[in-house]
Amino acid sequence: MTITTGDVGVSSVPEESAGKGLKVGALGLVSSLVIGVASTAPAYSLAATLGFVAAYVGIQSPAVMLLAFVPMLFIAAAYYYLNRADPDCGTTFTWVTRAIGPKTGWLAGWGILVTDLVVMPNLASVAGVYTFHLFGAHGIANDSSGFWVTVVGVVWIIVMTLICYIGIELSARTQVALLGAEIVILFVFAIVALAKVYAGSSAHSIRPSFEWLNPFRIHPIGALSAGMLLAVFIYWGWDTAVTVNEEAKDARRTPGRAALMSTLVLLLIYVVVSFAAQSLHGVGFLTNGNNEGDVLNALGTAVFGSPWNKLLLICVLTSASSSTQTTILPAARSSLSMAVHKAFPRRFADIHPKYLSPGFSTLVFGAVSVVWYVALDLLSPGDVLANSILALGFGIAFYYGLTGFACVFYYRKHLLKSFKNFIFIGLAPFLGAVILTVLFVIAIFYYSDPANSNSGTQAWFPFIHFNFTFLHQHFYVKKGLGPPLVLGVGFLLIGVPLMLLWMARNRDFFRRDRELAESVDSPAPPLTPGVTPVTD
Amino acid sequence: MASDIILGYDGSDGSKAALAVAVAVARAFDAPLSIVFGYEPNPMGGETADYKDKLEKIGQTMLAGALADAKKLDAGVHTEVLVVPMRPVESLLEAALERQARVIVVGGTGERPIVGAILGSVPHKLLHRSEVPVLVVPAGGE
Repeated sequence: MTITTGDVGVSSVPEESAGKGLKVGALGLVSSLVIGVASTAPAYSLAATLGFVAAYVGIQSPAVMLLAFVPMLFIAAAYYYLNRADPDCGTTFTWVTRAIGPKTGWLAGWGILVTDLVVMPNLASVAGVYTFHLFGAHGIANDSSGFWVTVVGVVWIIVMTLICYIGIELSARTQVALLGAEIVILFVFAIVALAKVYAGSSAHSIRPSFEWLNPFRIHPIGALSAGMLLAVFIYWGWDTAVTVNEEAKDARRTPGRAALMSTLVLLLIYVVVSFAAQSLHGVGFLTNGNNEGDVLNALGTAVFGSPWNKLLLICVLTSASSSTQTTILPAARSSLSMAVHKAFPRRFADIHPKYLSPGFSTLVFGAVSVVWYVALDLLSPGDVLANSILALGFGIAFYYGLTGFACVFYYRKHLLKSFKNFIFIGLAPFLGAVILTVLFVIAIFYYSDPANSNSGTQAWFPFIHFNFTFLHQHFYVKKGLGPPLVLGVGFLLIGVPLMLLWMARNRDFFRRDRELAESVDSPAPPLTPGVTPVTD
Repeated sequence: MASDIILGYDGSDGSKAALAVAVAVARAFDAPLSIVFGYEPNPMGGETADYKDKLEKIGQTMLAGALADAKKLDAGVHTEVLVVPMRPVESLLEAALERQARVIVVGGTGERPIVGAILGSVPHKLLHRSEVPVLVVPAGGE
């Protein structure tokens, strides 16, 4: 008999050999956009960050939102072009391995994993706090590292890990509805708040001014970089829209457009909400100790009143749930990818036979997250939210920056072939990477002073001290380091001995040469020969 | 015109029981049998290529086993296997459409209804969405 293999996407092979299906164009522009924005989780990101940004840069927080958008957009170009050559599971890990070398690539992969790990306590803590606010237990919620918040946070991580393990997915339609509600509620919140400001019905309110968008009013430069590192976090996640491009209906145009549109949607949300939030009761309201870690709750009550403020709380919780999912899933897939290419223990590549999820990777990540969350609560009580979110910026800047450099490196022979290549594959990723590197370095010095971290007086490693002047900035460490620095950079550094350990036992992965793109459109060869299935 | 028997196969006990029934049905109708394994990683969280490759290999290995089992049961039935990169239910519906299927055979999960509702039960969804008859074979049956 003859077998019809039409264009519906099901392919077949003759008997006695197993089949390989074809890719099916499934994701349209709207779905890609939804995935991009939902991965970033705007409500959760704002709830977790806005107060801290205001604490560093005061009235200029909208400027920081605007400024942080720039390197993100530039790095997006790098993601877009590298993903065209190699839409691999490990993204940055694979790309950096190809373009810069296996050691740097390994560390980039490690960077993704620890960044995902560092965000977990924050997610869990926000989820715990907002759960108690939702049920009116504000007393319990106000102690963000209290026993009960931690318990709920741990349960949250466990449940979300199991959801990823079993592979329960929200349908695309539910996803769209949830995200739609999130965005609508945020905008309604901003409009109502601004209306109250202009009606003069709110005490301490300040009139919005375009000067708030002027980044040159932020001093000192350390505060600017701290604010930027925080704001980099709130944009973190939208690159997902780029990485699903294989499945997109029009793979050449849809993902690029979706990525661009999701950054613009995020930019609009963040600028509008930060305008509204600080004009309502002034910056002091956002940064006072009670509100800093959960500004949206405090503001929601002020703007909507009960019970409508519950809408904003629910919106933060659903947002945190999608964010937890988009943290566990890529972390598990990164370790899976590293294991497949023999850069990580083999077990991490195990797939659960029934649920078809990267089972071992998922469970290990969940377990380590719980341990780390509880440990951080004990090590740095009261400051889990602040310290983890400040530390995150380091990880994100590290691996986004490496991705930018990898793009320029990989395509270096093709940058001068056209103006478009030069701008989008060369200049933009390079500038993005340089901005993030500079942020990273300045923030190291800024946070080395514990007084600049949110925990204020608390210092780790009090025996460390030095001081010097560089570029007219005075850098000094009087007594010990701020926890965000230790967490952010420390986790990245742990990767170095681990990598050397792995190198000593498994040389294969590290014995490879740098690669160059053959052309802008050519797909890269398999990273590990024989690992990627042959397509014939 | 081909009018296949479509079998959804995931290596579970239910799907093994369904395999035996599907082979018998294919013999009875003198129809070709298509064994289908569907998978689709959640696009949330992005970057799925290596994951997909692994899933596809698992599917291929699983179906190679299913093919051998089918041959053992009845070597005279024309059998082929399909790995389809779509969610299980969609992959079965798609294969049924393409092959103008006579019937779709799947294994029952043996899970309680409430668990099936939470985890998403393939037979349940198929019963509602398929345009061709669906035959659900209980695990341990046959």
